[in-house]
Amino acid sequence: MPSDTVMAMTELKEAAARSQRRAPSSFALKQVMAITGIIFVAFVVIHMIGNLKVYAGEDSFNTYAAWLREVGYPLIPKQGILWALRVTLAVSLVLHMASAITLWARGRRARGRHRRRGMKGFSATSARAMLPGGVVIFVFIVVHLLDLTIGAIVQSGTYQGPEADGTVHAYANLVASFSRPWMAIFYALTMVIIAFHVEHGLRTVLQDLGATGRRFRKLWTILGGIVALAIVLGNAAIPILVLTGVIA
Amino acid sequence: MRVELEIWRQASQTAKGAFERHVVDDATPEMSLMELLDRLNDQIVGQGDEAIQFESDCREGVCGACGVTVNDDPHGPVPNTPSCRQHLRSFGEVRKLRIEPLRSGAFPVIRDLVVDRSSLDRVIRAGGHVDVAAGTAPGADSLRIPYEEAELSLDFAACIGCGACVAACPNGSAHLFGGSKLAHLALIPHGEQERGRRAEAITETLDAEFGPCSTYGECVKVCPAGIPLSAVAAVHKERLRGVFRGRDN
Ligand code: HEM
Ligand code: FES
Repeated sequence: MPSDTVMAMTELKEAAARSQRRAPSSFALKQVMAITGIIFVAFVVIHMIGNLKVYAGEDSFNTYAAWLREVGYPLIPKQGILWALRVTLAVSLVLHMASAITLWARGRRARGRHRRRGMKGFSATSARAMLPGGVVIFVFIVVHLLDLTIGAIVQSGTYQGPEADGTVHAYANLVASFSRPWMAIFYALTMVIIAFHVEHGLRTVLQDLGATGRRFRKLWTILGGIVALAIVLGNAAIPILVLTGVIA
Repeated sequence: MRVELEIWRQASQTAKGAFERHVVDDATPEMSLMELLDRLNDQIVGQGDEAIQFESDCREGVCGACGVTVNDDPHGPVPNTPSCRQHLRSFGEVRKLRIEPLRSGAFPVIRDLVVDRSSLDRVIRAGGHVDVAAGTAPGADSLRIPYEEAELSLDFAACIGCGACVAACPNGSAHLFGGSKLAHLALIPHGEQERGRRAEAITETLDAEFGPCSTYGECVKVCPAGIPLSAVAAVHKERLRGVFRGRDN
């Protein structure tokens, strides 16, 4: 065989060995990340706005919590919307986490043995925090549901579930839970982590959904920062205010 | 001036590499990284040893052949500047340099500081070109392209293919490189009949040989051509466009 044919064949063989067609493609996984990420951000923002009812007092907050359980009734069965949301969020969470871990592993493999060292700067730092931050967020979701929705394992001593007549004790449960300093601090710190996750996440969404317009990218980045800040200010303030006795 | 060097030596693709210590006593502030390596090689060859292998060609920042990692920075400590245009005078008080190849899984070391960047060539082969019978050149006024778009397209075409973006990426992603091709070609009418096919081919090659992008933003700090981060967005923009159109163009 002529030597350039041998060369070409070796090159092709090496290329085949190095390249791996994988399903689902990273492109597809990134679309999943972006869509589920946006669903979460929308949820977190709406949830935060709902939480602000805590400043309007016990009745207002409890009425809101009760309304969530029957919104849409009688067109939709009681708790129908609530369960639709829960299922959407649960499915999104599984997809978001599975994609995140797969992409992370693929990135490590593609980088190879010699890791990148010496990265500085905000974007690189928050990018590096995405997976560890995500794990903290996941733990938080579990704790939060056990604490204030299900009332098990980590709930406060005075936790009361919803009554048969639709009365809820959301406000009292919240105050009781956040009166425990370690719990209040855990909630507040997680909000800071979520804010960084969302700020970097929303900038990644631009890349994943292919937004190339210069002005749109700038606007979206600023908006992302504002959303992240709002999440911290709106949410993290609540456990701190309970802890300091302002909300009781 | 005296410069202390740690240089990566590796005999072949399969050999185990290691850093080797050297000192250059008569370095001057005007020396570029390549000239420093030349000086060191004179010294090494003078002692009867094997010269350090590294790549360079134009030495004026246009060809993309050079590229070494200096103290963990692809191309060197000066941002957005190829290794051949980085001079000792710009390194401040730094007199200790650890020089190693551009690192990434897609860039196997061939020898010393020389890496195999043919994975980038395969991206170009997949879709970084206009694949149509061009015929004779059209009249200069028959194909009108607005000035702004032509300029923007040429900004993306400025990529010199050095591969520093890949080496800067902790994920080993080549989205800045692939995206610069896609953004460049999407903005001009030449080859628009294969726009969708090109996006698919390039995205698949990027997926197969490189990592995903997580917006670390490290690539844009090293790119000698100043390709912006929106090139990365162009990858998915073009691919999504192709998916929704479902046609070659
Ligand atoms: C409140 C819940 C959460 C919100 C609002 C959220 C939001 C986001 C958003 C918007 C993105 C950008 C998506 C993209 O375009 O790539 C993202 C990325 C990411 N998320 Fe989440 N996320 C949440 C929970 C989690 C959890 C529980 C994990 C656990 C593993 C996680 C891990 C990640 C990782 C690793 C990325 C980066 C992916 C990449 O760029 O390669 N997230 N998240
Ligand atoms: S040698 Fe040509 S760009 Fe450096």
